[in-house]
Amino acid sequence: MTKTSVDLENSQGSHEVSPKAGSSSEIASKIKTVFRRHRFVYLSVGTYIASMVVFGLIVFVKGSNPFSVFFVIVQSTMFNGGSLEQIVLRTVPISLAALAVAVPARAGLVNVGGEGQLIMGAIGAAGVGLAVGSTIPGPLAWLLMAMAGAVAGAIWAGIPAVMRTVTGASEAVTTLLMNFVANDIMLYLIYQPWRDRFSSGQPQSQPLSQSAQLPSLFGSQLNIGVVVALALVIVTWYLLKRSHWGFALKVVGGNQEAARRAGLPISRLLISSMLVGGALAGLGGMLNFAGLEIQLVPGITATFGYIAFLASWLGRHDPYKVLIAASLFSAIALSSNGIQLNFGLNGSIVDILLALIVIAPLFLSKNRKALTK
Amino acid sequence: MNGFEQTLIGGIAGGTAIVIPALGELTSELSGIVNLGTEGCMLVGALGAYAVTVATGSAEIGVAGGAVAGAVFGLLHAYLTIYRKADQLTSGLVIWFLALGITGVLGTGYVNDAITPLPIISIPGLSQVPWLGPILFRQNLLVYAGYILIALMIFVLRKSRIGLLLKATGERPEVVSVAGNHPNLIQVTAVTVGALFAGIGGAQLSVGYVGTWFDDMTSGYGFVAVAVVLFASWKPLRVMVGAYVFGIALSAESVLQTNGIAINQYLLDALPYLVTLIALVIVSRRGGRKAPEALSRALTDVT
Repeated sequence: MTKTSVDLENSQGSHEVSPKAGSSSEIASKIKTVFRRHRFVYLSVGTYIASMVVFGLIVFVKGSNPFSVFFVIVQSTMFNGGSLEQIVLRTVPISLAALAVAVPARAGLVNVGGEGQLIMGAIGAAGVGLAVGSTIPGPLAWLLMAMAGAVAGAIWAGIPAVMRTVTGASEAVTTLLMNFVANDIMLYLIYQPWRDRFSSGQPQSQPLSQSAQLPSLFGSQLNIGVVVALALVIVTWYLLKRSHWGFALKVVGGNQEAARRAGLPISRLLISSMLVGGALAGLGGMLNFAGLEIQLVPGITATFGYIAFLASWLGRHDPYKVLIAASLFSAIALSSNGIQLNFGLNGSIVDILLALIVIAPLFLSKNRKALTK
Repeated sequence: MNGFEQTLIGGIAGGTAIVIPALGELTSELSGIVNLGTEGCMLVGALGAYAVTVATGSAEIGVAGGAVAGAVFGLLHAYLTIYRKADQLTSGLVIWFLALGITGVLGTGYVNDAITPLPIISIPGLSQVPWLGPILFRQNLLVYAGYILIALMIFVLRKSRIGLLLKATGERPEVVSVAGNHPNLIQVTAVTVGALFAGIGGAQLSVGYVGTWFDDMTSGYGFVAVAVVLFASWKPLRVMVGAYVFGIALSAESVLQTNGIAINQYLLDALPYLVTLIALVIVSRRGGRKAPEALSRALTDVT
């Protein structure tokens, strides 16, 4: 897993070597660049190894053998029956919430509200799903739930976007606060109106009727949501990299003054980027709910929204790289079960691992900036 | 004692857990570094204070432990953002994740440990003042520390050279540098001291106001502290008001609950966050945004 992230980091900046290196000074500077990039690779590998050593030390302090913990992380995620499918299933909400960060980031907005948008998506889907029950055919129910989820997520991201463009309130902070509001709304629904009266244990909403649940793919644990998520990654890539809208977002994100002079509708672009991002996260919440969870439970998102923020950052807000980072983080999040079972360590130890994986490139930010200069 | 007074007493005590971290965040932000990791620093502060209290039997020493724990995490944030030029928001979130993980792993052993929390100290004379006395002056040590800190911050920022240097660093680090000071050093100090305050705020929760430790016990208060600083437009008096209003909203919630008023608990839980959001919007609308220049760059740059 270490290697993937290193690759993610290094695919940057390969464009900056000029193709026509004519004079000797240009050749010299080219050699210098190549050398610096190599140095960056070594530094990256070194930093990741260092961060794994730190993790090993923490594990050691808690009285477990670091090597067996690493072994279990790999074994329980890669070679355990069905766990690869579990990783893919969790990648669905994480990657879509990460796109919810990546799209506004293109326009220079910071969306830390993936968590709340995932929750609202799940709530929207659950509201529709529970209301229609098994009265309508499955595909229609899926469509309605997807629409409700996307709209709910878009609203939850749209409010901070409007706040930002109208009043100037920092969206980084408002999106963050709205996560807590979303969580409280969900808890209210779970504990009162939507409560499953037949369950005796932990409070949870009534389950989604069988017909409204997303169908599985070829009898595996995977469901059709995986295909949808993958398609959305591709569509988002197209929108950002190939469409007029994506280009306009980039201009706004790069230089608002230039965008203003070019006559671009800045407010509308900013709000639309958040709406699209929120809708993506909302769909992520819906797919997670209708495909995997089928009931609203407290902590349904399990900090996926925040993990997604880190994934988007690690993937430099580029949809494909973001997807790879999201898969990696999904695997790490899943490995918490194996660690808990085998070592009795608190499952939140994987949060440390996640943090260290992001700290490594953060640590190298200065080197990267020097590299792309 | 009626419910209203109870709400205010709890509001001042709970608000202290916001006011001290918020003043810390103010220090950090004035120097040009936003620390979303305030939430994480509070969390390690809460556990650090609790663990030290369990070990020594003294909640006062525990507070010191919490402060140190917060400062260590703040130092990491300072190092990454200032010397390694890391993105401030991402670094802050990472600090929070690290804190979540570390407190989760190390905190499991402390969930069932009992401690004697910080005692309530009545200030002679002042606590006898009718109505206000018991609310403001029958509280624990950290609440009084909060009062002093507010006064101190106002003084430092308005009158002292340190305050001037701090604000200058947030606005024009180059000028500070030309004047023969070290902006980096000032920023590192500001962020670390800010995180130290956050640690003390966490301690106010675990060994003060609440008196127990449980997983993720700060539940977003650190983020609220960051928001409070924004909507206070970087003015310490407004930070104070905002933090205590949040504290009172929190306390109103639990008082309403214990008095059996039939509002759903979770909708009430959302109230403090909603209050903060609305305040943020109103203040931003009034054009109260005079962010330190280095800070506004950090808040809008996502690379």
